[in-house]
Amino acid sequence: MTDGIIYTYCKGLVKRQAEKESQMMAEWKSGDYTLEHPFIEVNPYLINPLSALVVFRTEEETSVTVTVFGREKRGNISHTFPSAREHIVPVLGLYADCKNTVELRLHEGRSHTLCIETESLGEDVPQLVSMKTEPEYTSDDLIFLTPSLNALATAFDYRGDVRWHLTVPVVFDMKRLKNGNFLIGTERLLELPYYMSGLYEMTMIGKIIKEYRIPGGYHHDQWEMENGDILVLSEDLRSATVEDEIVLLDRDTGDVKKKWDLKDCLRPGDGPSGGYTARDWFHNNALWYDKNSNTITLCGRHTDSIINIDYETGKLNWILGDNETWPDDMQKYFFRPVGEGDFDWPYEQHACLVTPDGDVMCFDNGHYRSKIREKFLLNRDSFSRGVRYRLNVEDMTIEQLWQYGKERGEEFFSSYIGNVEYYGEDHYLVHSGGIQYYGEHASEKPAALLPDDPNMRSESITVEILRDKVIMEMKVTGNYYRAEKLSLYHEADNLPLGPGLILGEMGVTMEMETRIPMDNSGELLPYRYEASVTEEDDRFTFKAIFEGGQLVMLMLEDGQSGDEHGYFISTSKNKFTALCCGTFIEKDPRNVTLSVNKAGLKGTYDLRVIVDDKKYDTGVQICCL
Amino acid sequence: MLKEVTNAEFRESVNQGLVLADFFSSTCGPCKMLSYILGDVDKTCGEKVMILKVDFDKNKDLVEEYEVTGYPTLILMRDGKELVRKSGLQQKPVIVGMIEEYMD
Repeated sequence: MTDGIIYTYCKGLVKRQAEKESQMMAEWKSGDYTLEHPFIEVNPYLINPLSALVVFRTEEETSVTVTVFGREKRGNISHTFPSAREHIVPVLGLYADCKNTVELRLHEGRSHTLCIETESLGEDVPQLVSMKTEPEYTSDDLIFLTPSLNALATAFDYRGDVRWHLTVPVVFDMKRLKNGNFLIGTERLLELPYYMSGLYEMTMIGKIIKEYRIPGGYHHDQWEMENGDILVLSEDLRSATVEDEIVLLDRDTGDVKKKWDLKDCLRPGDGPSGGYTARDWFHNNALWYDKNSNTITLCGRHTDSIINIDYETGKLNWILGDNETWPDDMQKYFFRPVGEGDFDWPYEQHACLVTPDGDVMCFDNGHYRSKIREKFLLNRDSFSRGVRYRLNVEDMTIEQLWQYGKERGEEFFSSYIGNVEYYGEDHYLVHSGGIQYYGEHASEKPAALLPDDPNMRSESITVEILRDKVIMEMKVTGNYYRAEKLSLYHEADNLPLGPGLILGEMGVTMEMETRIPMDNSGELLPYRYEASVTEEDDRFTFKAIFEGGQLVMLMLEDGQSGDEHGYFISTSKNKFTALCCGTFIEKDPRNVTLSVNKAGLKGTYDLRVIVDDKKYDTGVQICCL
Repeated sequence: MLKEVTNAEFRESVNQGLVLADFFSSTCGPCKMLSYILGDVDKTCGEKVMILKVDFDKNKDLVEEYEVTGYPTLILMRDGKELVRKSGLQQKPVIVGMIEEYMD
């Protein structure tokens, strides 16, 4: 091999899907496709291998019902589409590695049965360990899991059979929108460990309707407002801190309409949790807008607290959590526990939500289960649970109304991630998504940092609870950020046609102000660094292997204008303290990844790399218009 | 003024007004970058602050005494008394801002 760098141009998923759809449309428009001989394309949008697109025409306008036959009758997945002459039918819920039986039935009674064959899904699928259901469990919806380690987004039916799977690492919360589509984080990593470029609005077949690029990127959670705008957890890419901003996106343009900086209502460093770092001082992992109070509730893992701020002003209203170690001037925001029953504060909790009557719920991870270092519990001695609190903001009292999980102890313990869902009174879902064992006991180290250690075992347990009875319990291998119950089909348009839209803007990547004074050696970057650059329309990503402790800086140098930009690359090992999504962590800790957005750059730049005491050429030029 | 110091030199200098201690390791990429940044900071701040570089691996007693748990760690002190500390790589404006906040 010669020295230098491997260069690849990568067309975005939205564009690739648009091209594929255009090809398919040309084909079905030009052919004579009928009920008996329809157009069929498996995995039509490239990322959902358990889906197909079936298109045919009828002489008369009629509705059509599609049914994917299950392994037993209860497993049938069916949907009726509105009357039309041209029937464009997304087929969802196919089994993997199987000749699926799919029926198309017209309203008038005529029907045709297809055989749609799918391939096996490979290794990126959670493996079912057990699935138990009670008669009360309704099987209409699937249980969707989103990634936290290697396995990708997948949905299971009531039997534990996989019926939906995406082959790209879209991550974090999966939230259904009023139009039936859902929002999920893109697979485009901005910065390790999990800061993503933005959000996709996607259909269940895997088609991206809109890609929202967000200047400060996306992490953890989002929320659809009543007018369709989207609240998103974000940050400032050029700040020394992370995970402490919220932005409101215009649904139609992707523009940022409003921004909240949590440093305006909290002091970084106050009330730190066991996992606190100066950079990730709050670690906001959830948001919930409450229309009744016009407030936003946020979940700060690294302060062991759930906070509530005013939507208009950003002013702090209250803090739900253990008040120990918080300064005196903040004590007025805390609640005092009342009531006769059991009470525990949440520690390093996730996924707060507000019930219709104003109660606050969360997944209480219980990591450390104290704010005092000397009292920290080992993971094996702690517990995780779903919990519901009732707040009285008049007299600042709090009561624990319900919990599930404490009684299961170590077996249900997740030091990180997890969520609760509220489905109505006495009806909840609790997802302990980050169970990790090292040998016989709960691991004290994250699995993402010990990928090949045979002693490490990761699992995820999701339970649905109705009137204090567990009506469903699913255990799978691996860790999953959240679990959601969703239907595959909905009553709105299940497959809007036309190219997806790319909205919003990428932010300007933080540069190192200080330059390393060094002349270009004129040598190509040695092959031993296994360096590569992948360029996209709006950014490029540099990957390479360096030894821990090496000094590395990526340089963009425009010889004509003299314009230059420098980006420091850390070669420190194990630099991540909170890994809600470890999907992008490389097995080899020597791997480094740096993504540079083209926003803010103008010119044609030579890409050079400083490694220790030498500046190398790469032979790559990056053009920014 | 910026210099790498031994244990004895550190103790001799730390009580002389505003001192910025940089606990670094020669096995750490961010520490190497910070070294260039502190060079820039030194040019900007001049005599206002003395920057002392302390090798984390060679000065374990200082590391213990100042409860330094990782590198790079910057500790700003006046006459030996800690004013503020920052862990991890910091950009020049952050460090200059920190120094200016505590200048006479």
